Amino acid sequence: MKKIKLIEIASARSGDKNDVCNIGIMAKSPEFYAVLKEKVTTEKVKEHFKDLIKGSVIRYEWESIESLNFICNQALDGGASRSLRMDTLGKNFSSHLLRMEIEIDG
Amino acid sequence: MNIINSSHLGRPGGASSIKIAGAQGFYGDSPKAAIQIAKEKGADYLVIDSLAELTLSILQKDKLKDESLGYARDIEFMATSLFPIAFKNGIKIVTNSGGLNPEAAAKKVAAILEKQGIKGIKIAVITGDNLMPKLQEMQKAGLVLENIDNGLPLSGSAFEITHANVYTGASTISEALDKGADLILAGRVADPCLTLGILIHHFKWRLSPSAFGDESSALSQNDWNKLASGIAVGHLLECGGQASGGNSYAEWPMDYSISNLGYPIAEVFEDGTAVFSKLESQGGKVSRNTIREQLIYEIHDPANYITPDVIVDFTSVKIEDIGVNKVHFSGIKGKPRPEKLKLSIGQMEGYMSDQFFFFSWPYAYEKAERLIKTVKEIWVTLPVKIERSEFSLVGINGIHGSAAPLPPKEILDEMNEIGVRIAIKHNDLRTGKLAMQSIICLGLNGPPGLIGIPGWGKTDRVMLSLWPTLIPREWVKEKVEIIES
Repeated sequence: MKKIKLIEIASARSGDKNDVCNIGIMAKSPEFYAVLKEKVTTEKVKEHFKDLIKGSVIRYEWESIESLNFICNQALDGGASRSLRMDTLGKNFSSHLLRMEIEIDG
Repeated sequence: MNIINSSHLGRPGGASSIKIAGAQGFYGDSPKAAIQIAKEKGADYLVIDSLAELTLSILQKDKLKDESLGYARDIEFMATSLFPIAFKNGIKIVTNSGGLNPEAAAKKVAAILEKQGIKGIKIAVITGDNLMPKLQEMQKAGLVLENIDNGLPLSGSAFEITHANVYTGASTISEALDKGADLILAGRVADPCLTLGILIHHFKWRLSPSAFGDESSALSQNDWNKLASGIAVGHLLECGGQASGGNSYAEWPMDYSISNLGYPIAEVFEDGTAVFSKLESQGGKVSRNTIREQLIYEIHDPANYITPDVIVDFTSVKIEDIGVNKVHFSGIKGKPRPEKLKLSIGQMEGYMSDQFFFFSWPYAYEKAERLIKTVKEIWVTLPVKIERSEFSLVGINGIHGSAAPLPPKEILDEMNEIGVRIAIKHNDLRTGKLAMQSIICLGLNGPPGLIGIPGWGKTDRVMLSLWPTLIPREWVKEKVEIIES
């Protein structure tokens, strides 16, 4: 087993809808999509974001574009207009998810 | 039908396809890429999306100051820079830049066009999304206007309401084009419905008629698939450069020019399939990667993307690279439209104020932490109420807060510099000024070498919030009016 960061096998883009942040993570190949599906669970995402995500995390699988879409509830300090954070729109939730470490064979 | 414009573009088959370009991604975005598309006749239509979730709140502030405002003001500049070239080349423009005041926007644009001697332009004004005047009536009729995020009734909210606009569909856009409009100024037409309206007009796709009774059951699966495809194309165009290589991790290190990034152009066919491209003369990139990363942007369940006109199922999408900067897009499916429409109610919640300070080596981290501790000590002595506060270390956890791993001590000790950002929420116009004034003294009294930058930090920025709710369609009466310059 070796440790890798998700940025080595995927890219991501995130955005806001009120207090909900969605993070789309796109595998660089169908093989890596299988890895994402297995390793990047809702529990792991919730834990990775610590206090940033106060609500639940939902995961949608999107096979045709080798992607997972994470819906993070109560994740933007009340929503962009109410947020006291610097990243009010959650644009860098993508960046932080790409930093997640997983273990793969090899 | 817009046959003449299409055949101008020299494609075989004339009107069997139509080209639509995303011309703006937000209020304030650059019109440069769109101007180039207009110059090169790179599209039949330009779609300008100006309304992010919060833009109407911003426009409301303008309108409160001046009744003739309330629209996205960059159309005033576009009326001299972009529109004349577009109209000269037979390109039509569809936008929700009308914001809270499409009538005023139309008058202003008509006046600017006339000043340049441009006459005979048909401007369509689309209204009916503003439900602010009907809110009380709706509540009297028994609608609780429950917040879809937290389930609370609107009557339980203590805040002042700033605006109430319902997301409307594509029918008014296609109607305006049927009436010969060259420029459409709408209010809160849902972003992707701007594009869908063009396609309905051009291909005579069938749409559930909203104003003429519900016949949605009469639509076939094929009809729903086409409408859904139109929404998908609109979704891909509505953020401008984000579909053509901007803001892209998928294409990082972005091995193309981004200083003159070209915007996405969709050539759409009658069956709803499309080919995405950009101008050869412009930078950026259109690839399977750039298209899929925009497809996933700001959506929830990819099998159920809800819009006023159709529920879209993106899961069977097929995105294929078919050439350099050419991507084929197909496979979108649709389901019958939702019964209710989304009403977005803006509320005034109070104010926020923030400030920045910086420290350099040595002890940058310790000095920053000491500053935060000292600010907190000062603030508890003030006769004001700070509702919430956020302290962050720029360079360490400014963006990711508690989720950012703290570097090991030996790195922290050697940091070249660290910034401190302080943000507070307060309910009155006294607290922010007092709180920020009370810590200025730390320039001389505080940890050594504190730097404040003149002009940084804002006091009393209005804090607005959104109250999303669902309402029956019968409360919404849309209107299309045409004026001529």
